[in-house]
Formats: sequence, C-alpha cells, structure tokens
Amino acid sequence: MNHIALKMLMGDKGKYLGIVMGLTFASLIMTQQPAIFVGLMSRSYSFISDVGLPDIWVMDPKVQFVDDIKPLQDTELYRVRGISGVQWAMPMYKGLLKARLTDGTFQTCNVIGLDDTTLIGGPPIMLSGKIEDLRRSDSVIVDIDGARDKLGKPSPTSGGKRIPLAVGDTLELNDHRAIVVGIAKVTRTFQSQPVVYTTYSRAKSYAPRERKLLSFVLVKAKPGQDIAQLTRRIRAATGLSAYSHNEFKELTYNYFMKNTGIPINFGISVALGFIVGAAVAGQTFYNFTLENLRQFGVLKAMGANNLTLLRMILLQAVLVGSIGYGLGVGLTALFGHAMRHTILAFKFPWQLLIFSGAGVSLICVFAALISIIKVIRLEPAIVFKS
Amino acid sequence: MTLKYLLPLLALLGFIFAAYTVVSSNKPMPVAAAVVEPAFAPFPSYIAGSGIIEAKSQNIAVGTPLSGIVERITVKVGENVKAGVPLFYLDDRQTRAELAVKRADLLKARAEVSVAQATVKDVQSLSQLAQAVTDKRAISSEELLKRNNAVQVAKAKLDSALALVQQAEAALLNTQTSLDRLVVRAPVEGEVLQVNIRPGEFASAGFLNTPLLVLGNLQQLHVRVDIDENDAWRFVKNNKAVAYLRGNRQFKADLTLAYVEPFVVPKKSLTGDSTERVDTRVLQALYSFDRQQIPVYVGQQMDVFIEAKDYTADTTAEPSS
Repeated sequence: MNHIALKMLMGDKGKYLGIVMGLTFASLIMTQQPAIFVGLMSRSYSFISDVGLPDIWVMDPKVQFVDDIKPLQDTELYRVRGISGVQWAMPMYKGLLKARLTDGTFQTCNVIGLDDTTLIGGPPIMLSGKIEDLRRSDSVIVDIDGARDKLGKPSPTSGGKRIPLAVGDTLELNDHRAIVVGIAKVTRTFQSQPVVYTTYSRAKSYAPRERKLLSFVLVKAKPGQDIAQLTRRIRAATGLSAYSHNEFKELTYNYFMKNTGIPINFGISVALGFIVGAAVAGQTFYNFTLENLRQFGVLKAMGANNLTLLRMILLQAVLVGSIGYGLGVGLTALFGHAMRHTILAFKFPWQLLIFSGAGVSLICVFAALISIIKVIRLEPAIVFKS
Repeated sequence: MTLKYLLPLLALLGFIFAAYTVVSSNKPMPVAAAVVEPAFAPFPSYIAGSGIIEAKSQNIAVGTPLSGIVERITVKVGENVKAGVPLFYLDDRQTRAELAVKRADLLKARAEVSVAQATVKDVQSLSQLAQAVTDKRAISSEELLKRNNAVQVAKAKLDSALALVQQAEAALLNTQTSLDRLVVRAPVEGEVLQVNIRPGEFASAGFLNTPLLVLGNLQQLHVRVDIDENDAWRFVKNNKAVAYLRGNRQFKADLTLAYVEPFVVPKKSLTGDSTERVDTRVLQALYSFDRQQIPVYVGQQMDVFIEAKDYTADTTAEPSS
C-alpha cells in the first residue's frame, strides 16, 4: 500500500514538485526570518556575552539596557568590593566617543575602558597584538569590523576599498592621540559601532569631563557563593542595581523587545510565511488528493478500509513535509553560510529547527486533514460514475 | 526515477547542513582571561579601599621663603640628606651688593663716632680752660656758658653716632639674614624624592601645585587608605588589614594601624577639572608595614582590605562568615 501511495505522489512530477516547493518556501521563511530576528536580538546583548569573566554587573538602578549608561562615582567600586562574597570587583567604562579619522571624517566609537591592572573585560579573541599591550602609553585595541570598515583609512584611488586600520596606526579620540596596538574580534553589536578598548584611566581622560565616569562594576563571586544571593546583598548594601550575567542579557533583550518594532516586523514575516506556506501546500495537496480520488475509490472498492487510506495520505504528507522541511532549513543554513562575513545579523540556534519543524508539521497536518476528510467521505461507487 | 531519490537525498543533505550550522555557529565566544589575577580579600567580610604609599614623615614639599632664580642645586634625587643641609641656592648677587653697601655704611658710622669723640675732647678741653680762669672779669659769663653747652652738644652727637653704628650693624645683620634665606635647607633628615627645579629656573615663594623639591623619610613607609564615608561606620581601628601590590597579588603586606586622620576629606579630584564639585568624602587611615615584605615605591597605589563585621541584612543568607 505504501508503495502505491508513493507512486501516486510522485506520479505527477509537476504536482509533486509544487507541493515540495510550497513547503520548502514555507520552511525557508519560517527559519530564515526568525534566524535574522534572533541574530538581531542577540546583537543587543552581544557585548555582555563577550565579557564572560564576571558573574555580576553592578550599575545605576535606572539603567534600562547595556548601552544606556548612567555613570557611578568611582568610590562605588570600593563599596562593592567591600561586600562579603565578592571575590573581586573591577571598574569598566563604556561610552560613545568621537574619533577623528585621517581623512577628517568623524566616527562615533564605542569606547570600553578596562581596569588598568588586570584588564578584565577585554576582547575575547585577539587577531593581532596582545591585550597586555594596552599598558603602553596612548594604546587602544580596535575590533576588526571597525578597523576594516568604519575606522579604515580612505583608499588612495577614489572609490576604492578602504585600507584597514592596522597595528601602529594612530587615531584621534576626542582630541587625544591613540595608537592602535591590537586588533580584536568581537561579536557585532546592535548599533555596529567600532569598538575601541583601552584602560579605564585612559578612557576617563578621553571622555568628556564629567564628575562621574564609572559605567559598570564587574563582580566575580567567591567560589561556592550563590549568585542570586550576592546580587541581593549588593543591591541592599549599595542601593545600586546588580544583575547576573543572564539577568543583564534578559534586561537588555526585554528592552529591545518592548521598545523597538523588531519583534512585530519579524513576527509578521513569519506569520506570512506560515500562511502562504499553508495555503500553497495545503491547496496543492488537496488538489492532488482530489485528482487521485478515483484511485482512492478503486482502492476502497477493492476492500481497503479507511485506516489504510488514512495511513497512505499521512505517509504522503509526512514525506513531502520532511523533504520540504529539509530543503528549507538547508537553504536557510546555506544563506547563513553565504552571509557569514557580511553585516547581516544571522543566528541559527537549535530551537529554530524545532520551531520551523513544528510549523511545517502543522501545515502538513492541516493539508492532510482536509484530504483525509474527503477520502473518508468518498463513496467507492464514484469510480464508476462518468 | 531520479527525482524519487534526488529530492529526499537533497532534503537529508539540507537538514544535515542545517544541523551542522546550528552546532558550529553557536559556539560561545571564548572568555578573555584576566591579564593578571586581581587581588581579593583574605577575610570573609571587609572594607575595601585604595591606598597610596607615602613616607612616614609624609611627603614634604619644600618651598622657598624668597622668590628668585635658582643658581645651583646641591642635592640629587634619591640622595639622603641630614637636617640643615643646603638643598639649593638662589641667585644672591643683589643681596651681596646690598651687603657691601651695608658694610660701608657701618664703617662710615664708626668713623662718625670717632669724629664725634674728637669733637667731645676738643670742646671739653676748651671748657676746662675757661673753667680754670678764676678772675671772672677775664671771661664773660656768656662765653663760659657757650663752652659748657658745647660740651653737652658734642656728647649728644657722640650718642647719636653710636646709635647710628648700632643701626648700621642691624641693617648689616638684616641683609645677612636675607642672604641666608636664599639658601634653602633640608628641614628634616630624609631622602630627596623629587627635584622639579633646575638652575636658571624661577622658584617662586608660596604654595605651588608642583613642589620645587619633595623630601621624605623613607626609613618607614605608610600607606594612606581612602575609606568611603559610606563605609566609614564599619571601620574598626584594631581590625586586621592587608595590602596587595597592583599588578601582582603575590606581593602582599600585613598592615598595622599608625593613626587615623579624624578629619574626613574630599576625595582627590576625579577628573582634574578645577570647577568640579566633589561630593564624596573619604576617611583616611594610615597604616605602617614592613618595607622588606614588598618592593614598593613612594606614591604607588595598593589595594587594601580591612576586616570588618558583616552587617548585611540578608535574610536568606547562610552564615557567611
């Protein structure tokens, strides 16, 4: 029987391809759009992910997300250090400063100031140079994307590609001289500004004069210390906000979910993909069943019971569904692979495979259901009519 | 039929590739390790503060009583000096010239005294001559009176000349003191920590942001710890304290309290801007430590932890100390 079902399905190549195509595109849209969405959202907190060493981030209670800097007084660092359960606490400066490039244009950069001694919170991957080189005078480390593109030197021929910033080049940060001593790889941020790493005290001298300049206090808990309990203790003792690594990511993520149109835009895309996929696949599948109604009638007349027919239709649905799904996620992965070096945000977590799988299954079940109803109501006598 | 196998095969490949992408693209970024291990407290509950190392005598910014051009400097950075040893000399040509004038004035005053003495002798002998005449008719009483008065006048002139000598001597001493003040001497025994002047530069009297010369006694060092005023109530004088050298936490020193400055001072300027408002004040505690334990320099910063009682009211807390 299964063989007959497959024969039926693949007998008409055009129809077969049509169903598969419909499901492939439905699956593609339902995977690729959420992947871009997830990629975009994960960029909102990519800076927090990159700074992996500390357990807790301490900041002003009014901070809403990672780029919302409300600086603290320098002495808060020592108050946090004095809380029991804290292994160490380090200052971090994060702010947007203007860099003047050699061709005179200005570029806003995300300047990160690390603790002078330990350089905690530095870039995860160094492509050239060492983090320790930040101890040299006027030294900064620039991220590779910024060095290649926004901070790059103008091309000698007009219209040509920019020359990437290299170790040894100088920048002008807020009228201060800065020498590039390293190129780092960091995850792109939401605003995709070039990231410039330097030491905390140098970042303070680059920053415009303000009374408070301490953006975050990075805290490592003592081994065996419960993080949630320590965050509560820090909050109670200092009156500041303390978030664990994941809580801070969540805070940032929720801010973007609530305050930007991104989730709605992508939600609509995904819903449209689902509806179009369901309509195309469902309709083609239903048409296909209608055309093969005769064959089903013959089978019924020959004594096949409803259960057998149901199994046949389900098999057909599962087959086209799996093929469409496989092709769809494959194409998505291919798309992601092709775009991996571009500015496009693309992240493909395993949950997405399940999400689109569930979506395609839903479409298949829907298509199979309407076909099954038709077949079950079928009178075997139809074969002999007309 | 190729389509029969081709499509499922493609789908399978697609799924495998997607699975591979999921696995390979979601590797977390590696964690950037600390360049050097940060210092952490050896106590369960403590106050943390930053400390700066200074000489026990504190760092003396030597000033000059008079402004002037520096002529020569007789000490080098790092040199040990005894109290009273000249540190540097200011240009003294004008004062020396004045000294010569004052000396000449003294000589002149002394000469005036001799003149006055001679005059006294002269008028005295004339007066005695007149007194010796017994016949009142031989000399008029007016003449007699005149000669007697001349003696009084001459004596008064002598006194005045003597007073002028004293005045000239005082003026000479004054100039000599000025000359002496052009030499700046070490107020205490200690080491020269900084020399910020060179011969030919102008040294002005009064408070300077960059001291001319910094002197300190390095026999015993102190570390001055800033404790945030919000933490000051937790500070107990006799509790244990440890200081770690920045850059290598292997170097640590146990601290013993020297004294606490009872006056809470504004925290040293955060940005260096003169118009900035400071609203953080810090309690400063001074600790002494064994200099042999760690290689330190005056002015270096240290991370200091002072043991303190745990007051955090955390109801869910396990007994955390």
